[in-house]
Amino acid sequence: MRKKVIIVLLSLSAIFLVFTIASAEKVFRPSTELPKSVSTTNGSPRLVLITQELETSFWDEVAAGAKNMALEEGAQLEVWGSYGTNSDEFLKKLELAIHSKMDGIIVQGLDTEAFNELTKVKAAFYGIPIITVANDVPKQESLRKTYVGSDQFDAGNLLAKELLIDMEHQGEIIILSDEDSQYYQQQRIAGMMDVFKAYPAVTVTNSQTSSSKEQVVAAAQDFLNKSPDAKGIVAVNANHLAAMLQEISRRTQVEPYHIYSFDDGPDALALLEQGEVDALIRQSPEEMGKKSVELMIDWIASESEPLDTEGYITDIELVKRVDGS
Amino acid sequence: MKTIQQKIWMLVAIVLFVMIAIWLTLTFYNQKTQDQYNEILQRYLEMNEVTNASQQVITDLNNFLIDPSFNNESSLSSSTRNVLAAQSAVSELRNEENDFILTNYINLIDSFVETVERSVSYQNAGDADSSLAEFSEANRISTYISEMTLSIIDSELKSYESFYRDIIAKSDDLNQMGIWLFLMMTSFLLLLAYLFSLSITRPVHQLRKAANELSKGRFDLPIKVDSNDEISFLARTFDNMRVSVNNLFAETQMKAQLEIELQENKLLLQESQLRILQSQINPHFLFNTLNTLSKKAYLEGSEETSDLLVNVAGLFRYNLKRMDRPVTLYEEVVVLKQYMEIQKARFPDRLHFHTEVDDSCLTIEIPGLTLQPLIENAVIHAIEPQEDGGHIWFRIIDQEEEVRIEIEDSGGGMSFDKRKQLLEGTIIPENGHSTGIGFSNVMKRLALFYSRESIVSIDSEEGRGTKIMLKLPKTRGIADAGEAADR
Repeated sequence: MRKKVIIVLLSLSAIFLVFTIASAEKVFRPSTELPKSVSTTNGSPRLVLITQELETSFWDEVAAGAKNMALEEGAQLEVWGSYGTNSDEFLKKLELAIHSKMDGIIVQGLDTEAFNELTKVKAAFYGIPIITVANDVPKQESLRKTYVGSDQFDAGNLLAKELLIDMEHQGEIIILSDEDSQYYQQQRIAGMMDVFKAYPAVTVTNSQTSSSKEQVVAAAQDFLNKSPDAKGIVAVNANHLAAMLQEISRRTQVEPYHIYSFDDGPDALALLEQGEVDALIRQSPEEMGKKSVELMIDWIASESEPLDTEGYITDIELVKRVDGS
Repeated sequence: MKTIQQKIWMLVAIVLFVMIAIWLTLTFYNQKTQDQYNEILQRYLEMNEVTNASQQVITDLNNFLIDPSFNNESSLSSSTRNVLAAQSAVSELRNEENDFILTNYINLIDSFVETVERSVSYQNAGDADSSLAEFSEANRISTYISEMTLSIIDSELKSYESFYRDIIAKSDDLNQMGIWLFLMMTSFLLLLAYLFSLSITRPVHQLRKAANELSKGRFDLPIKVDSNDEISFLARTFDNMRVSVNNLFAETQMKAQLEIELQENKLLLQESQLRILQSQINPHFLFNTLNTLSKKAYLEGSEETSDLLVNVAGLFRYNLKRMDRPVTLYEEVVVLKQYMEIQKARFPDRLHFHTEVDDSCLTIEIPGLTLQPLIENAVIHAIEPQEDGGHIWFRIIDQEEEVRIEIEDSGGGMSFDKRKQLLEGTIIPENGHSTGIGFSNVMKRLALFYSRESIVSIDSEEGRGTKIMLKLPKTRGIADAGEAADR
């Protein structure tokens, strides 16, 4: 009896002890590390990449390239921006970046007065270097240090030549662009027109729209109505592609059209793969990111070394639909 | 030895120690968690402070621009100082995660303060338009500040999220641990209390059993208690008591035995005294009568009879007088000779008595009436049954340290067994004679008188007579032997 009681109590104690230790281990295990506090910033240059089109595949690539390079160079880089070409938000971010006294700002160029005001006055006031990336603005307007990205004129040129081959150098071509045509769009159109003007058999119709989806649809209806024979369509702003294609396919077959565009829209590449788009100008977004960060860091490290204000051109190529029909 | 008190103290100390340990650990743990909570709250409060301070600056700046009085200017500068203080407080919150955004934040505050200052200086310079423009910019930056505060708090929440979840999970774990700890402590304390109570009650139980045995009268079982406290002390004392009681008991029993024997002896003594009294009825009358008879016989010319009667009377007187008193060997020899005269009268032809006495030995002391019973035995065994009579030799020989007395007869002797019985005093009286009793009586009296055994020896063989030898030391052994003989 005595032994039984002792054994039972002893084993109970042992079992409970095991459980207690197990739960105590849980309780007293080192807690999740809090971020280590640092007394001063590490002094590495703080850069920011600002775009209007966050989380599109094109800008994701730019950001990835920039981040890799920043990591390599030991700089801090954040990607700010607005979604869906919201220029107010975009400008606000830019202003915030300037007021935050960043060491360098890499920005998607926006050829508006407000943008130029910010870059020319505010940034210069705080002495913050600005590099435009992917989309340029006229250099005298913005006081940007340099531009990194495709030569948009060349891009338009390349696209136009390929389109003409497809259309056998004749027919009607519609160029859809923004109403408040951005500098890069103007460049692209200029590049295309430079090719088209040599062929009298080719007629070019410019169609303009604002950025909202309804406007794009309306513009598409309009040019389809007005130019029923047009066979070539170029969306200078890749953002318009989806809405435009939707309207065309609603009315008629997409197949007969030669639809050309650029890769800097959110769904451009996907549409090319689906065969909706015939060809895209493929730029080098990752290279743009890398190069811009590299140049910015160089600039900050030794301000005396002048950057080529004309810009640093990255590669472009034309990608056609795989089945070629 | 541990006392029960010490045991209790030990138990209490263990419990107390465990409790205190647990309490300290939990308090420490709680304190740590509390500190973390406080730190986190502090962060949020400090960040919020920046927003409030910057908004206050905007209000003050607005007031100042409307009414550039000294009061408004001083309240503006004080709220600006608040902003800077809040800024430096926030700059303490820098960590790996928020380094970038915090730098932005601090720079933003700098920009804000600069803008405000510019606005003030334009105002002072009288450039109202520029001042207003700077004011609206400051206002915008203030908005940015509050937005960025929110986004910093948001990112804080994100980077601390796992930490918060950890705290919540841990508080659950802590509750669980509390339950397990409670159960463990309960069973552990139960065990401890059980063992403790056992260590007290078991010895008590053993003691009780032992007491039971004692009360039943079993004093021979040793009391064993497995303990090392007062109970064991009690048990040892109890055991000692048991041993003492046991000894006392045995002693009392022995005494009772002796008492009984003494009682019996007393009865025997009374009986024998009664007998003696009976047998001594008026011995003087008998003695006087014998003397009268002797005179009468002498007057009537029977001299022989007269002598015989004189001898009988002498012997009788000697018997009466000397029974309990040491006498000289000379007196003994005289009585012996008187006795033999009487016996010769009985057996004139058959008794041949020869004596060889060394006179130099006759002064030693000897218990009265020791030789007469031996001679009487010799007469009874050697003369009475023999038709042709027999010889009795009586010798006293000086042997330096001792005196040897020999009484030899030419009787039938005795067997080895009988001789042994005789020497050991276990012989049973037969055919009316009190031979054995007389002999052993003499033997005992001699042993008492000289305080030593083996005074008497017997040399005998069947059919070849008997020789009894007494070896009497010339000096008596021990003083108390004399007292023993005096009784």
